Amino acid sequence: MSHPVNLSTTLRGAASPVVRSGMASRLRCLAVAVAVGLGTSMALAQTEDYAEVNRLLRSGQLAEALAKADQYLVGKARDPQMRFLKGVILTESGKTQDAIATFSKLTEDYPELPEPYNNLAVLYAGQSQFDKARAALEMAIRTNPSYATAHENLGDVYAKLASQAYSKALQLDGTNPAVAPKLSLIRNLFAADTRAGAASVAAAPAPAPAAAKPAVSAPAAPAAPVAAVTKPAAPAAAPAPAPATPAVAADAQREVEAAVRTWAGAWSSRDMNGYLGAYASNFAPPGGQARKAWESDRRARIEPRTRIGVDVSNLEVTVEGDKATARFRQDYTSDTLNVTSRKTLDMVKSGNRWLIVRESTGS
Amino acid sequence: MAGRRMGQRGHAGVAAGQQGQGMSRRTTWVLGAVVVAALLAVWVNSARQDRGLSGASDSIDTAEPSLLNQAMARVQDTARSQLPASPSGLQTNSLTPARLDEVKPMLGQAEARLIGIYQLISQGRHRDALVLADQLVKDHPNFQLAHLVHGDLLSLQARPVRQLGDVPDTKALAASQQLSTLREESRRRLLALTERPPAGSIPTQFLTLAPQSRHAIAIDASRSRLYLFENLNPARSSPGDNRQPNLKLVGDFYMSVGLSGIEKAVEGDKRTPLGVYYITSTLNPADLPDLYGVGALPINYPNPLDVQRGKTGSGIWLHGTPSDQFVRAPQASDGCVVLSNPDLERLLRTVQIRTTPVVIAPELQWVQPDALSQDLAQFEGVLEAWRRSRSEGNLAELKGFYSSRFSNQGRDLAQWWPRVENELRSTGPRQLAIKDLSVLRWNDTDDTRVVTFGEVAAGQNRGVTKRQYWIRENDRWTIFFEGNIG
Repeated sequence: MSHPVNLSTTLRGAASPVVRSGMASRLRCLAVAVAVGLGTSMALAQTEDYAEVNRLLRSGQLAEALAKADQYLVGKARDPQMRFLKGVILTESGKTQDAIATFSKLTEDYPELPEPYNNLAVLYAGQSQFDKARAALEMAIRTNPSYATAHENLGDVYAKLASQAYSKALQLDGTNPAVAPKLSLIRNLFAADTRAGAASVAAAPAPAPAAAKPAVSAPAAPAAPVAAVTKPAAPAAAPAPAPATPAVAADAQREVEAAVRTWAGAWSSRDMNGYLGAYASNFAPPGGQARKAWESDRRARIEPRTRIGVDVSNLEVTVEGDKATARFRQDYTSDTLNVTSRKTLDMVKSGNRWLIVRESTGS
Repeated sequence: MAGRRMGQRGHAGVAAGQQGQGMSRRTTWVLGAVVVAALLAVWVNSARQDRGLSGASDSIDTAEPSLLNQAMARVQDTARSQLPASPSGLQTNSLTPARLDEVKPMLGQAEARLIGIYQLISQGRHRDALVLADQLVKDHPNFQLAHLVHGDLLSLQARPVRQLGDVPDTKALAASQQLSTLREESRRRLLALTERPPAGSIPTQFLTLAPQSRHAIAIDASRSRLYLFENLNPARSSPGDNRQPNLKLVGDFYMSVGLSGIEKAVEGDKRTPLGVYYITSTLNPADLPDLYGVGALPINYPNPLDVQRGKTGSGIWLHGTPSDQFVRAPQASDGCVVLSNPDLERLLRTVQIRTTPVVIAPELQWVQPDALSQDLAQFEGVLEAWRRSRSEGNLAELKGFYSSRFSNQGRDLAQWWPRVENELRSTGPRQLAIKDLSVLRWNDTDDTRVVTFGEVAAGQNRGVTKRQYWIRENDRWTIFFEGNIG
């Protein structure tokens, strides 16, 4: 049972924000096609291949990663996940034209996937071809109307195009190259679309969620430290910390709430030290990004804004010992973008501070 | 299980989707409101602009989205009861799709497309507007106002837009003059489209036009507008035919005047002259610098009235725009009238040199032709008396028609009069007919007429074309310039 479920789990990551049933069914068709094409027995080995390429990619061994990916593709030339990884490797290697060709071909073969469009846009924007970037992102959104990364990237591209249009209107020198927007590259196909977020396919061993399922349905799971990634529903978790004295739990809850609001406040006031300081040293950046790269990405996103507002509402906090999960509605507004999303922060207590170890959107 | 998780995730998606819609509604609304405000501001222009603007925001707060027309109608009703009729004689209309379709054939294509975009914005159809704006700036990469609107529509995809040209502060500071100029251009374009000449109406300068003047041009400097007319009057064989002008408005273009405005007085003052002129020639664009665009049509500034008044300067043309600019700012030239190249090309294709009058007025007044008939009849009576004196060779009476201010190329009346005497003595009394009469009225501190006609002696087929400038002095019409042309 596990393999098809796993595969569709990973696909759900991509499909999850989809609302329209037509869109969802198209994506399901893809899932079937992929499952049939690969064969159930192949799936596990395949996952390991992805993981290995991912590992090489993350550790900067780009040549090895590319070789491994190419080797894999000899046998499975159409495999979208590996082709996507190859596109990411080429992008990281600075082989922009090859990366564009790889993602373009993916959009032709799998026009229902938004991620290749997104990454094409990133590459075009890097070349200051903002019209092409816009077209690609508009395709990504047509494919998946609530694809947050594409929306955010498109917001930046529109802002850049608007700036160019205004420069032409006002006959200002629009050639200033200093402020090309930094768009987010999606590093994994079929990973949940999170700005800051969910584990990649490779990072989260596929069987884990399936294995965790019975634990959720069982009342009072003894401890689910590993399965924490599987986001137990709040009511199910609630009975668990019964032994803890209510007063302590309430204090901890208040501390976590305060930490979340401090984090949102630092973000709103573009206080980068406060903002980045809210994340634990072992925070796992989304998509297997290195911490440094993630930090500079965040700086590039936050510092140039003239105005940011991050509102936290419907905040629900569950605390279990020195671990906590905060779920809330996040209203983000800035001079270039307004987005509302559901956000989950997994936090740990370090000394007397609650720090973020994982940030995910949309669940 | 999978279904349930999907459902949970799906919920987040729904929330995001609704948010997206909410945002687009809100932002659309804001830009729509901007256009409404622009139209309203235009509307109440002639009086109490402040009030008009605050009235506009009232409507925005209370009206439903995309109720441009209702908001307009409300303000229109209020305005009707409060404002005096416009002295321009223009009718103020809201820019409904039907009305726009009526006006469109007269506009330059680029302007028609821009206005179409405004209209979509006012209807909240900002995605459609963006698609059209993408195309417009692609086709006219030098159309700055289109770029400004395009920038707003692009910005609108990511943030609210508060006003036309909602540029980031740094840019607004760097080019505040340019920005306010573009807003003014936009305002004037909208103004010209919401205030329309009533059907069949003509500017008061055109008392009568000979069939040879197949076209006529009238410029309203206050609205940055050039109107092109086709003369529908057939050739007339006998006097007494209906001489009421019958002009059809066929073109309606944005245009720019001098950097310092209008009322040219001296050379180099960067002002555009006011008066009644004729196109004198056409200049080959190959001989012109890029600044003048696709060509130029010089006019006869300074005309005899200007000379009388001691005005100086020369080289006033209607011309096009340099290649990097689609149009110039409302006040931009050294005194010339500047049109976009496509609009100037239209003039070049259409008008005839020497016979096309060009009226340049601070503000045109529009009336039905029969409102001018009394004025025309009265002046024709004066002209007939002059013709009779001349036909009879009655020099004493004839001399009474000539002003003490008479001047022709430096010759005053004392120097000019012997020519008239000699001519009449040599021909003797003979019946003279006036044919193909044009009378243009120019009324500022003086009331003047620019009169052009063919003077044909009885028994002859051909005569001379005469032009006279008449002025009303002490309740009497006298000639202060006379010459043969053509």
